Amino acid sequence: MIGTDPGSAAAAPAAPHPAAPALAAKAAWVRFQILEMIAAAGKGHVGGSLSCADILVALYAGGVLRHDCSRPQWPGRDRFIFSKGHAVEALYAVLAQAGFLSPDSLRSYGTDGSSLGGHPDRLVPGVEVSTGSLGHGLGIGAGLAVAARRQRQAHLTFVLLGDGECYEGSVWEAAQFAAHHRLSNLVAIVDRNRQITVDDTEDCNAFEPFAAKWRAFGWEVREVDGHSFPALLEALADVRTRKGGPPLAVIAQTRKGRGVSFMETTVGWHHRVPKGELLAQARRELALS
Amino acid sequence: MPSATTTPPPVTDIRDAFFGELHRLAQNDRRVMVLTDDQSAFALDRMRTELPAQYINIGIAEQNLINVAAGLALGGLRPFVCGISNFLSLRGCEQISVNLCAMNLPVTIVASGGGLTYASDGPTHHSVQDVAIMRSMPNLTVFNPPDATATAACAALCRECEGPAYVRIEKGVMPSLYAAPADFSSGVGRLRPGSEVLLISTGFLTHAAVHAATLLEASGIECGVLDLYRLKPVNAEAILEQLKGVGRVAVLEEQTPIGGVGSLVCELLAEQGAGIPLRRFHLPDGPCYRYGSREWLHRQFGLDAATVAGDIARWIGPAKLRATA
Repeated sequence: MIGTDPGSAAAAPAAPHPAAPALAAKAAWVRFQILEMIAAAGKGHVGGSLSCADILVALYAGGVLRHDCSRPQWPGRDRFIFSKGHAVEALYAVLAQAGFLSPDSLRSYGTDGSSLGGHPDRLVPGVEVSTGSLGHGLGIGAGLAVAARRQRQAHLTFVLLGDGECYEGSVWEAAQFAAHHRLSNLVAIVDRNRQITVDDTEDCNAFEPFAAKWRAFGWEVREVDGHSFPALLEALADVRTRKGGPPLAVIAQTRKGRGVSFMETTVGWHHRVPKGELLAQARRELALS
Repeated sequence: MPSATTTPPPVTDIRDAFFGELHRLAQNDRRVMVLTDDQSAFALDRMRTELPAQYINIGIAEQNLINVAAGLALGGLRPFVCGISNFLSLRGCEQISVNLCAMNLPVTIVASGGGLTYASDGPTHHSVQDVAIMRSMPNLTVFNPPDATATAACAALCRECEGPAYVRIEKGVMPSLYAAPADFSSGVGRLRPGSEVLLISTGFLTHAAVHAATLLEASGIECGVLDLYRLKPVNAEAILEQLKGVGRVAVLEEQTPIGGVGSLVCELLAEQGAGIPLRRFHLPDGPCYRYGSREWLHRQFGLDAATVAGDIARWIGPAKLRATA
């Protein structure tokens, strides 16, 4: 179940979904790759990568996004903008799982001359828009949605934002624009992990009531458990049939560092790299997940 | 290289020349989209009325303006983004850099109000750094045409760019400097012969450069005028060709001394080891809190034709006297 009514509070559990176990297994693989990439490179954004891993797997493996790894530029593909570009390790792992990259190529991350940088660029197969500076993706997505509508193209545009990214004013410039133009072919998903680098969002500059802000800007809002595949898939089930209405914002409640207990319970794992016993513990926990 | 006009100038508002050409392009190519941050102009209003599906007023939100244009370009359209130079180049600077330029998207930024156009409106509205900023942007083509003929030509040249373009356009009626039709592919125009001193300028101040050259001619000094209507990619070969046999170089621009056309010419001369004496006329490196007309401000900062001609005459005079003694 998802909260869709104005003012609705926390999401209720969604009904079981037959694909959920398989997706959970895929997400476990993705999480392990994230950890290994960052451990090998000695750098990366582990917390935000782990928080958005389930969202990415739901999109790419859950039948939400239309994509074809054999034709990355297939005109009929959905456009996906990974606006929280710093969590690139999650994107690379999912692109490898979806066939855009070879799993072996993930080993090159962080090495000299690698084609996989610390933020995604369009030269990487499957990456639609180069990102890294926060707050740009939603406006670009709005432009893509306008272009698709003007040319009567059926594909959708999805943008994944971090919640910390929503401190950027340009996000709200784009939100207002997209609602005014009733871009029902645009879907924003916010990874609401509630943490930035050194703070809980509610302690340093509170977002709440976050969903109400999106609603006030004219968006349809669905709040979901961002680690529940049934909830994510239910929230995104009708994206192709909701025509003529407002754009859709899915606020995915997540935990930064999801899957690693000591990351989930402490602030500070935005871009810290686990080493020694902490790395061993993270490996054990992610291997078991 | 386009040739200087010898016929009486037609009466055409420069901004109308650009937007008129843009209107024609949009009529013939439905992929052309015009986006603005609430700019008002006769020809833009016409676009809104006659081609409403190709016009979007984004509102006063330059970051989103550039980002939406990037998305439209990624979606196969050809956006022209119209607004005031200072707000586009500074408020939208990062979006221009990382979205338009780094991704090399075919978006044209149409920047009105360059330099001290909004003279008495103060430093928030003075666009005196944009040439330096835009010159530093990768993949960006930068135009700064001085008259209606060149400005209209730039609209078509921008449409043909495979990557992003930035074009500074003036407003108002000014004399034509170029004969039409002309080939504007070279990026430079020789508007007056003369090699005793070559006065290099761009955009609005090219008119002052031509005027200064006529004043110098009356004083017995041969002053050539070179107009750089394209600042990036700079046609170094053509400029260096024009510098052959030149005794001195002066550069006149409506920007701060850092990174503009004066810097561009210095870079070229230094890299070539040309060793030609050079004098720069520019605005100070600081905000302008003096209020008056653009022409008055030019006199305040020594950028008007009479002051430039006088300074060049004093600069050359002693050497000329020595040579003839």
